Amino acid sequence: MEAVPERISVQTNVLNANQQTAAANREYFADQGLFVMNLMSAPGAGKTTLLEATIKALQGRFRLAVIEGDLQTDLDTQRIEALGVRAYQITTGTTCHLDARMVARALDAFPVKDLDLLVIENVGNLICPASFDLGEGLRVVVCSVAEGPEKPRKYPVMFNKAEVVLINKIDLAEASGVDVKELMANVRAVNPNATIFALSSRTGEGMAAWTDWLQQSVAVYGSAASVSA
Amino acid sequence: MHEITIAESIIQIAEAKAREQGARAVQVIKLRLGSFTTIVPDALQFAFEIAREGTLSRDAQLDIEIVPMVVHCVVCEAWTQPLQGVCLACERCGFPLEIVSGEELQIEYIEVDSEREGSPWKQCQNESQSRQMC
Repeated sequence: MEAVPERISVQTNVLNANQQTAAANREYFADQGLFVMNLMSAPGAGKTTLLEATIKALQGRFRLAVIEGDLQTDLDTQRIEALGVRAYQITTGTTCHLDARMVARALDAFPVKDLDLLVIENVGNLICPASFDLGEGLRVVVCSVAEGPEKPRKYPVMFNKAEVVLINKIDLAEASGVDVKELMANVRAVNPNATIFALSSRTGEGMAAWTDWLQQSVAVYGSAASVSA
Repeated sequence: MHEITIAESIIQIAEAKAREQGARAVQVIKLRLGSFTTIVPDALQFAFEIAREGTLSRDAQLDIEIVPMVVHCVVCEAWTQPLQGVCLACERCGFPLEIVSGEELQIEYIEVDSEREGSPWKQCQNESQSRQMC
């Protein structure tokens, strides 16, 4: 017996399986007329507090639900449910990101029919979630001023893939010694097309511009979906 | 450390292709990895060495070709390679740049051990298969 090395062409994207599941999720969301937002940031940027403030502003205007991703605990789900909003917790164990299959599995257990908006709060991480499409319609990255002004340039892939960047905790700008304009310029350097809102979810400063924008986006999506359906 | 997920996907794709071709072992997996991804080559090599255990790729070498990032300005008609610090607005006109390459994460080919046509081993395999079918 003689082994012969043989070269076999593959030409396959490594993330092909995830992309196929993400495409199926996206199709499912479209069928439901559901606007889906993937919310990402570093740990501690204030995603959940911002989500709470966003929910309070939009409650009553939309039917919404939340899928929470964390390595451990259902603390964030409890916070969302305390607002009277349905929430489902994915605990990833040691995995540093959500992937499309985890979301597909969550959808089996957590019905999202008759909703206008589904928010998927990803695992806090500025690196890994950038590579994994979940099937969302909108990618939002939160960056707090307390992280310093350079984060967009240090994590360009994450910021480049976002449609919206929310600069949070602007009430702490002075205390953090950060120039919000410099931070915004750094977002634009890696993503000139990003829609940027500077806000503080704790004081409410700048929140209305963001929630108005989101409300309009969900409404436009919903009316387009009902026309096509 | 999402490199372990990436390494597992690489192994799965190589495994499926190798089995489809009836190969006994994967020797080389050739990967094109863009520099504008979140994958660290050293971390991926390390994860690959763990993920390949117990698979047809257990002795395989992961051959990573780094694809540099190239950006293009449609206004200035200029192609550039950002080396240090990515800026995706054109330095000259400020227009958003288009990413031409650097986002690749693609398995190009695998090299496998297979049997030469007509070798005694191949014949033997065929015979045993035909016996099973009867």
